Amino acid sequence: MTTHHPPPPAASARPPADLNPRREAALDFPERELEEMTPADYDTLGFLCGLEVHQQLATRSKLFCRCPSGVVARRVDAEVLRHMRPTLSELGEYDGTALMEFKTRKEIVYRLERSSVCTYEMDDTPPFEVDEEAVRTAIAVSRLFELNLVSELHVMRKQYLDGSIPTGFQRTAMVGLAGEIPFRESELGRDRVLRIRQLSLEEDSCREVSDVGHRIIFRTDRLGTPLTETVTEPDLLTPRDAAAGGRLIAAVTRTTGMARRGPGAARQDVNVSIAGGRRVEIKGVCHHRGLPRLVHVEAFRQLALLRIKAELEARGIRKEMLTVPETGQPWEQSPLAIDARSLLRKTDYSPIRDALDRDEMVVAVRLPGFRGLLAHGTQPGLTFAQEILHRVRVIACLVGRPFMIHSDVRDYGLRASRWRQLRSASGAASGDAVVVLWGRQDDAATAVREVLARGRDALDGVPAETRQAFADGTTGFERILPGPDRMYPDTDTPPLPIPDRWVQDVEAKQPARPWEREDRAIARGLDAAAAHRLARAPWNDLFEALAPKTPLGARRMAAALEKRLPCHWRRTRSAGALPDAERLEPLVAALDRGGPVIHAADEILDRLLAEPEHSASSIVASYEASDEPSADLARLLEATVVARDALSRPPSDERALMQWAMGRVIPELLGRVEPEEVARRLAERFGAKAALTGQEERS
Amino acid sequence: MSDEVQSEAAAVPIEDAAVFKGYREPCVSVMRRFGVTVWCDVIAETTRGRFEGLILPRSETSDELHLVLKLESGYNVGIRHDTIESLRKTGYREASYKIPEKAFPVDAGKPRVRLFGTGGTIASRLDYRTGAVIPAFSPGELYGSVPELADICNLETEKLFGIFSENMGPPQYLILAEKIGEAIREGYDGVVIGHGTDTMHYTSAALSFMVQGSPVPIVMVGSQRSSDRPSSDAAQNLINATWAAAHGDIAEVIVCMFGPTSDRYNLLHRGTRVRKMHSSYRSTFRTLGDIPLAMVERDEITPLKDDYARRREDREVTVRAKFDDRVGFIYYYPGMKADVIESLIDAGYRGIVIAGTGLGHVNRLAYPALEKARKAGVQVYMTLQTLWGFVQMHVYETGREILEEGVIPLANMLPETAYVKLGWALACHPDDPAKVRELMTTPIAGDMTEREPHDGYLVFQGGVPEMKAFLGKVWS
Repeated sequence: MTTHHPPPPAASARPPADLNPRREAALDFPERELEEMTPADYDTLGFLCGLEVHQQLATRSKLFCRCPSGVVARRVDAEVLRHMRPTLSELGEYDGTALMEFKTRKEIVYRLERSSVCTYEMDDTPPFEVDEEAVRTAIAVSRLFELNLVSELHVMRKQYLDGSIPTGFQRTAMVGLAGEIPFRESELGRDRVLRIRQLSLEEDSCREVSDVGHRIIFRTDRLGTPLTETVTEPDLLTPRDAAAGGRLIAAVTRTTGMARRGPGAARQDVNVSIAGGRRVEIKGVCHHRGLPRLVHVEAFRQLALLRIKAELEARGIRKEMLTVPETGQPWEQSPLAIDARSLLRKTDYSPIRDALDRDEMVVAVRLPGFRGLLAHGTQPGLTFAQEILHRVRVIACLVGRPFMIHSDVRDYGLRASRWRQLRSASGAASGDAVVVLWGRQDDAATAVREVLARGRDALDGVPAETRQAFADGTTGFERILPGPDRMYPDTDTPPLPIPDRWVQDVEAKQPARPWEREDRAIARGLDAAAAHRLARAPWNDLFEALAPKTPLGARRMAAALEKRLPCHWRRTRSAGALPDAERLEPLVAALDRGGPVIHAADEILDRLLAEPEHSASSIVASYEASDEPSADLARLLEATVVARDALSRPPSDERALMQWAMGRVIPELLGRVEPEEVARRLAERFGAKAALTGQEERS
Repeated sequence: MSDEVQSEAAAVPIEDAAVFKGYREPCVSVMRRFGVTVWCDVIAETTRGRFEGLILPRSETSDELHLVLKLESGYNVGIRHDTIESLRKTGYREASYKIPEKAFPVDAGKPRVRLFGTGGTIASRLDYRTGAVIPAFSPGELYGSVPELADICNLETEKLFGIFSENMGPPQYLILAEKIGEAIREGYDGVVIGHGTDTMHYTSAALSFMVQGSPVPIVMVGSQRSSDRPSSDAAQNLINATWAAAHGDIAEVIVCMFGPTSDRYNLLHRGTRVRKMHSSYRSTFRTLGDIPLAMVERDEITPLKDDYARRREDREVTVRAKFDDRVGFIYYYPGMKADVIESLIDAGYRGIVIAGTGLGHVNRLAYPALEKARKAGVQVYMTLQTLWGFVQMHVYETGREILEEGVIPLANMLPETAYVKLGWALACHPDDPAKVRELMTTPIAGDMTEREPHDGYLVFQGGVPEMKAFLGKVWS
């Protein structure tokens, strides 16, 4: 609570859970690339990672209104403009002007498209009943994670002031708590488990279109889509495990068949800390592929910040040396900032000259004891100065390109003589750094305060932030990590009891989880890799319904589905459409019987899918060796010998010759003779050794 | 059945009611068995697993079967009483709250504004644990939540009632009217009234009749989204209403609420011509049959009409705080029978306002009742369900017949305004029906207008091409 008396200061209101349990940073650990790091190295760093996996659900409607879910809008039918105002409770005893600053800071524009949004999402109508399909799905997913289910859902409001939700809060309800799943994919060993802290059912936020200066624009099509948020404990102890854990949770959720696919349908927030640091949340990561590098870079960013902290402490810098009054113009009230307009009036550095032409403010801010540290590396290609810059851009809404330079990069921007003048005018000692920034007067005042606030945060080491991921694997400041008190009950929605009947209903239909599917597939005869793939494939249930009886039949059937179904989907533009098990049964039976037909599995499957006018049994029968193929074989062998003799450039070696010859004969007799038989007979005719035996197992 | 309820109630001694806040049987027994109360931190072992959290009070409107826990994560969850195997107390944290209060700065150069509270939550903060809304009302509290007010005026507040909008009625109108009169005579430069939105237009009409010739603005304001939400309209409404009261030139009873649904400007509506038109939209208040008086945005008032009463320096005001509540209000429907009206006459009502169809019609079935009313001296007035337009009872035979039964047409007076005006007029002239009739048919506070401008009726039809084009280019 930030508002009961006496209100604790904002910083101490943060739960200690945000701090990495190991407080001693491994400051001497060398910089290393992701590929060079071992699990033991990450252990030395004290690396901890947990995920918050958001998965949109493929329900018909949105969570609290009856707008269709899953529409991607392109048209704009209308725009609505709003502001977000911090509520009393969130700020506690705040200074009134801080609030005003907040209020005038951002204009939030929502772009509406009529088919995908109604007055509910725009906060002009109270919520309707929660979508039952979404609740049932959330219960199903909770059971898959073996979570303790609550008896009654309480819809809560989680505050967001960034405008991504027009109400200023997200409606969310806790569904299940404290479960765990086997984590065989871990690089730390097959017997590890991944603990799941909780699963909640929430409404999705808006899509951001742009965020420039004081105006942020959102689209509202996605807003209100139901999603499950699955939160893990910080059990992911290496970057590769972070990605593996994300994939595992996604795979479990997808087994319900209710996970929406497509761009942005699954996103995760990644929480990372290292020893001596604190939890930093990287928001909205859409892919697992880039995740290891992202968290690796974040671990080393935290290490760099901890080194900067240690250096500042060694230099005797304290937070009190970096404070300015929270109101008024800092350049009139603090020795740390000066109005640099007259000093730079004649500069030939065009960004500042242009700013002066626009009648903007130019300020020099002194950071005591920071000399050299602004150039300290934090992420690949980025320095501590960017930590300041990102935060100033987001909070103070400066829009110049650039809008800030600093004294640790001497040749950039101003000449050395100007820097000397600036240093002397701002009273900088030799150990101090100077930051120059420019923009509209109000924004420049906010910017000065933010530069110094980030300077103070440097003495904490790692500030509690949410960060956004960039394509190159680095991250940038997004906002201050919200405090714990942003959650309060939604007075518009009554509690919803979850009766035992619903739970039993869900359990009766519970799909097998990936590891259970994998075990079954291995029991049927698949190797571990194929079983892993099958367990996550959309045709897993089809495969299980087909129930091949022999290991060979199982391997052949799994391989054929994996190879041919995606091709069929592409060809017919019918992604995800599965044939009836009945249609494929004759094929499975034939594969189980064995014999030459197994080599024709792919082709038979293709025809079963593409020729619905022919009965399945007739298609399969045409491949089975019912007649005696020897006459055909003899004829083909003869023709092949003739063809070889006619080649102007026969294959240079025996092996190539055999491949060429097999390629002529096998397709004609697919499924009717064993390839070994063909190879033996060809070798006899060519007088060569049977070079291609063993081909079957490789295919 | 009622015996059972009583015996259950008796099982919970009165001193316990406080510690079991909102809980009933069977939850109270479960809590007793394990020696825990509301505000206890507990570990609950249940058939659905273990849950740890703080026991919150239960809303009285929720069922009696679940215990509510606040988890460390901030989420609330419900645990069904019969899943509970044990509750182990690990602590006790009773929440007590106070709104941060800051002295409202006084600036001798700024106008003095009187703010009356009636119970609506114009400004409030939320008890984050229970979800209860605590109204912020003293100047210090208001300054704490809407500090911009200090830039506008010196604000002094008085809480008159603590009731929801739907419970506002004639007794409150009388007190409010007298209080406004006092404030004007005490020299305030403007009056603001915080009010729930549901019946704000009834109150604004009542005050328009009861407080006449005010030298200063009397501004009613509320909010459609409570101020505990970041998207609330409350602060903007309050800021603009206070501005209109402190600096505005319109010395009438006006309603100040959102213009469009976007956070842009507020509209000032005349108290007798305004109506709440949407159950939940921010821009729910509309002026009907005319255009609003003015727009207010960021410290600037832009008049849209000029036929309003100007601010004056004198302190003259006429307060006629009276109301006869023996007035009935009937929304006519096609199958309506005479007994609906007759029952009002039999119950001693002295006046009836009908909202009729079309130009002001009711069916023939009602005629005997209208005749009975005339004979009993009960005045019957006709207004319109269409809300827009004038009562025109000479156009059709039906209308002429109804007129012959003594029904009095009220031009384009809004039905709610007519109801309020009739209660007031009957109280002003308890023994003189002719005076009542004269008062009713004479416009006093813009309640009837002589003409309807072409843009007095603009209910845009969504979906048609020109509206699509208009809405699509509002911002871009």
